[in-house]
Amino acid sequence: MSPIASSWAAEVAAVFVKEWRCEFRTRYALNTLALFAFTTLVVTSVSLGPMGIAKAQGSAVLPVLLWLILLFSVAAGLPRAFVQEEESQTATALRLAATPSALFCGKLLYCLTLVMALELLVTPVFLTLMSLGVESPGLLAAVLAAGGYGLAVGSTLVAAIIAQARTKGTLFSVLSFPVLLPLLLLVVELTRTAVAGGIGDMGSTAGVVLPQLLLYDASVSVAGLMLFPVVWNP
Amino acid sequence: MKTLLAWLLWLWIALVIWAAFFYAPGAAENFQVPTSYRILFFHVPMAWASFAGFIGSAVWSVLYLRSRNPRHDLAAAAAIQLGLLFGVLATVTGAVWARIEWGLYWNWDPRQTSLLVSLLFYGAYLALRGAVDDPEKRARLAAAYAILGLVVTPFLYWIVPRITFSLHPEPVVNAEGKSQMSSDISRVLLASSVGFTALFFWMHNLQTRLLVLAERKSAGGDQGYGA
Repeated sequence: MSPIASSWAAEVAAVFVKEWRCEFRTRYALNTLALFAFTTLVVTSVSLGPMGIAKAQGSAVLPVLLWLILLFSVAAGLPRAFVQEEESQTATALRLAATPSALFCGKLLYCLTLVMALELLVTPVFLTLMSLGVESPGLLAAVLAAGGYGLAVGSTLVAAIIAQARTKGTLFSVLSFPVLLPLLLLVVELTRTAVAGGIGDMGSTAGVVLPQLLLYDASVSVAGLMLFPVVWNP
Repeated sequence: MKTLLAWLLWLWIALVIWAAFFYAPGAAENFQVPTSYRILFFHVPMAWASFAGFIGSAVWSVLYLRSRNPRHDLAAAAAIQLGLLFGVLATVTGAVWARIEWGLYWNWDPRQTSLLVSLLFYGAYLALRGAVDDPEKRARLAAAYAILGLVVTPFLYWIVPRITFSLHPEPVVNAEGKSQMSSDISRVLLASSVGFTALFFWMHNLQTRLLVLAERKSAGGDQGYGA
């Protein structure tokens, strides 16, 4: 690896490690995400548990609920990634220490690990509580990975924007919703296909929608890398 | 010169309104209520003007990030404000027409959904501007958000038609490259679209100048905004 690339990778790793070290000091995001997800899981399970909804309706409705739980948990915990830097007035030091692209990638990795941990925690519990069978586990895993990445990258950029605004808490939901809506429609469609399995043209739906999901992830990543320096540097 | 152009624009719009009611035929084929089609001459150009606001805001945002000229930022904001205005008008006229044609004000038709999402985006953009005090920071953040919006919304054009089927007729220029409307109707529609596009840019020019003046006033003196 060339010296420039290795120093860039070292910056990314340093930001990532620093994020998790700060996170373990307060456990703010971990607690918020886990508790929010747990509360919503309990509410959905109590009101719509195995007895509450017919199996046929369940495969249409429950994927939507799963992604809503993930979306709102993310909205409750992730904005912290940048807001904390502004509040503790460490943003300027960070601006001096890391190049914007390395900082963006480091924060993105942190958000990504957080979202993946959330998905690993929530999805099995959700599927068990709702007794929702999955016909195509491979497709579900792919959707959770690509969808989780999309949630993380979109949220990271929006979090960087709102950290510099006045009303941080509410603004995140307002700004992230139009950006994440195409992603959510795609992942819900794919999760339904993974759950329903053999019904209809599963292969062709996944063949069309999965590339679109990957394209969304790629476009938002490129836009994030290009726009982040503008958002971050005064 | 500007005054003359403005008068020409008003004359053009007046002619379009006259033509919509007196030149275009009284009833059009392929409609449930043939005589109700005239709203088309206003509904379609309004949706088009709203779309122009969306594209315009992204273009001016890119220009701002390249030049850092505050005027470009205010032009992007004005484009969003007008996009919101025309978007609401297109939604309302569309809903009224949908009630007459399809029996429902709202049915999550793909174009209704796309327009609604763009309205949400306009609202979010304006909320972001309202939440930042420093003009330079506000311009940077808003420009980044406008460009991000343009990157993600095209996905809706793939996704939404798959989820709900459309009751909207085929576009004026469809896959066969032929208009499905009678020539009288498409002539008036074209004239109206040209008129509304010009109206959009005329209003945009006025609004941008107003925003520049307001910004100057709040900054308490000339801050180097271009004339």
